[in-house]
Amino acid sequence: MAEVYVEEFMSPGCVGCPAVKEMLKSLSEELSGEITVEEVDITVDTSRAAQYGVMSVPAIAINGDLKFMGVPKKEELKKALQEELDKD
Amino acid sequence: MSQDRKEKRIGIFICHCGKNIAGGVDIKALLEISKKLEEVVFVTDNKFSCSEEGQIAIQNAIKDNDLNRIVVVACDPSLHLLTFQHCGKKMGIDPAFVDLIDIRKWTMFGSPNKVDEKEALINSQKFIEQAAKRMRLKRIVPKVNVEVNQSVIVIGAGVAGLEASLDLADKGYKVYLIERLPTIGGKMALLYKVFPTNDCAPCILAPKTAYANIHPNINLLTKSEVANVEGHIGNFSVVVNQKPRYVDEKKCTGCGLCIEKCPTKVIDDEYSRGIGERKAIYIPYDQAIPKKAVIDSQNCLYFQKDTCRLCEKVCPVQAIDFKQEPKAIELKAGAIIVATGFDEYNPVQKVEYGYRRYGNVITQFQLARLLDIDGPTKGKLLRPTDKREPRSIVMIQCVGSRDENANGYCSSVCCMYALKHAQIIKEMILPDSQIYISYIDMRTAGKGFEEYYRRTREIGINFIHGRPSEVIENNKTKNLILKVEDSDVGELINLEADLVVLSCATVPSQGTKQLAGLLGVNLDANGFFKELHPKLRPVETNIRGIYICGSAQGPKDIPDSIIQAKAAASCADSELRKGEIQLPEAIVHPVRS
Repeated sequence: MAEVYVEEFMSPGCVGCPAVKEMLKSLSEELSGEITVEEVDITVDTSRAAQYGVMSVPAIAINGDLKFMGVPKKEELKKALQEELDKD
Repeated sequence: MSQDRKEKRIGIFICHCGKNIAGGVDIKALLEISKKLEEVVFVTDNKFSCSEEGQIAIQNAIKDNDLNRIVVVACDPSLHLLTFQHCGKKMGIDPAFVDLIDIRKWTMFGSPNKVDEKEALINSQKFIEQAAKRMRLKRIVPKVNVEVNQSVIVIGAGVAGLEASLDLADKGYKVYLIERLPTIGGKMALLYKVFPTNDCAPCILAPKTAYANIHPNINLLTKSEVANVEGHIGNFSVVVNQKPRYVDEKKCTGCGLCIEKCPTKVIDDEYSRGIGERKAIYIPYDQAIPKKAVIDSQNCLYFQKDTCRLCEKVCPVQAIDFKQEPKAIELKAGAIIVATGFDEYNPVQKVEYGYRRYGNVITQFQLARLLDIDGPTKGKLLRPTDKREPRSIVMIQCVGSRDENANGYCSSVCCMYALKHAQIIKEMILPDSQIYISYIDMRTAGKGFEEYYRRTREIGINFIHGRPSEVIENNKTKNLILKVEDSDVGELINLEADLVVLSCATVPSQGTKQLAGLLGVNLDANGFFKELHPKLRPVETNIRGIYICGSAQGPKDIPDSIIQAKAAASCADSELRKGEIQLPEAIVHPVRS
C-alpha cells in the first residue's frame, strides 16, 4: 500500500494548528493509502523544527519535504498528499 | 545526488554514549526492535558513535553494507547531526538521508526528562520506529536558491546591540540599529559606575555610542519599534514604526534653550527611574546620543491644551516640528539580532518591603541615579522624604529573584551591584554611614569579583546572612524598622534604617513577548528569548538567521553581554558571507494563513 509520512509542526496555543490537525485526520480517512501523521510540538522538539527551518506554526512536512507554513487550503494539502502517494 | 529511486538500505546505529544511554535503556532490546523494521538492513551499537572510532565504524558499515540512509540513535540533533551528516557525505550519502534522534534525554542521569528504564525503552522504540519510517519514505526535494541581503537589523541599542552593530558594520555590512527610546546606550548609561573596576559607565560606553552614531554603515533609528516581520534568513522584511520626535534631528544642535524655557516639569521615569524631573521637551542626559531634543506629547502643553509653543519660539534653528507624524519604515535584511535587554523587577509586588508605600524604600537602579554626579541630585545621596543624608542604609538582596513567588532564577548581577553601590557610598559620598547588606548567598563568580567582595568587607560594610521578613515605617521619622536573623551568628538583629535599597531581579524587557511573537522566536520559562541549545548554541534561536544576545537571553553582566553580542555578530556574518543559500520552497514562498 502506498505510504506517506507527515510531520505536523504545532505548538500549544497555535491558532491555525487545530484546523490542520482536523484536515489531516479527514484526509487520512479519505485518501487511499497509509498516511502516518506525527505531531511535532516545536516548543518541546526545537531541533526538528530548526532542521527544517520551520519559522512559524502550523507547518507541514510530507515525506521529509517542508511543504506548507501556514494553514493550506484543504484541496492543496490533498493534492500534495496524493502526489506523494502516487509516487510511492 | 538523487538517491530517491535506489533500493532503500537503511542502517541504524545505536550509541551507548558511555553509560549515559546504555545505563538507562536496554540496548539489546533496541537492537532487536530495529532489526525488524522495514528496509532496515543493518543494525549495530557503538560505545561512542561521535568518537573518531565511532565515525569510522559508521563509514565502514555504510561501505560494507551498501547503506544509502542512516539513523543514529543518540543525542540532540542540534549537537551532532552535522557530525553524522559529514560522516555520511564522505561515503556518498546525501545529508537529507542522515538522521539523528535523541533518546539520551530519557536515559541520562541528571536529565530533566529522565524516566525509568521501562519507559525509556517504550519511548525509544517509538522514536526509532518513527525515524526509520520517516527515513524510508523521505525524498530529496530540490531547494530554492536565495540571495542573502547584506544588511542586518539589530533590535535594541544597549551595550549588546551596539557591540553587535559595530562588529558587523566594521565588517562592511549595512546595519539598521533600532531603538525604542530617544537615545542609545540602554541601561548601562544609567549605572553611574560599573563593577569590578568602578569605571564611569557612560565614559566607557560613550566611545561605542559615539562610533555607532557616526559609523557610515550604521543607520540609527531611535523611537522605533518593530511592527511586523516577514521573510526568512537571507531576506527578512521588517516594518518599523518610528514615533515622532517633534524635533527635526537634522536641524537640532542640542543647545538646550528649548528645555530651559519649557514650563512643564514631569517625573522622569525612564532616565531618572522616577526620582528626578525633566521638562516636557528634553534631552535624556548629557551624553545622550543622538543629542537631540524630544517632545513628550503626553505632557506638552501644545499637544494637551493647544497653548504654549515656547520651544518653537526660542529655538534658534527652527527645529521644532509639531506636525511630525509616525512613520512606517520597511527594512530588508539578511539576518536579525535581538538585543532588547532587561527591565528591573517592579518590587511593588513584594508588599512586605513597602516599596511605593514608604518613601525611603528605593531600588538599586534608583540609587545608581542618586549616586551619579550627573544624575538628578548631582551625586548627592539624599533620602526621598526629607532630602537629608542617610546615616544608615540597608540593602536587601534577591528581591524578586530566587523566589518561587516571583522569579525562581538568580539574576546574577544584583550581588555585585549592591557591593558596588556600598563601596561608592562608603568611599566617596558618606564615609561615616553604616551600610548593611542583607543577603541569602553572596554570589560573586567572575574575574575580579571575589576580590571586589573581599574589599567591600574590608572597608567596613556589614553583611547579614539573612533577609528581613518585612519592612515597617516609623510614621514620625519615616525611618524604616527591620528585624533580620543573621544565621551565621544565630542572632536576631534589629535595625533602624534611614534608607532601604532593594536589589531587584532582572526581568525580560517590556514588549519581549510581543516581539517574540512577531519574530516567531521561542521564549524560555522565565520569559527571556530562548537559545537553540543552552550550552553549545547560546545565541542562535529556533529561527535560522535570528540571533539573540545580552540580557534579552537571560540576566548577565556587561562583559558577558559583549561576548554574546560578538558571538551573535559572528553567527550572522557566517550566514551573510555565503552570499547565496538554499532553502525549501515552503520557506521562500509560504502559504498565507
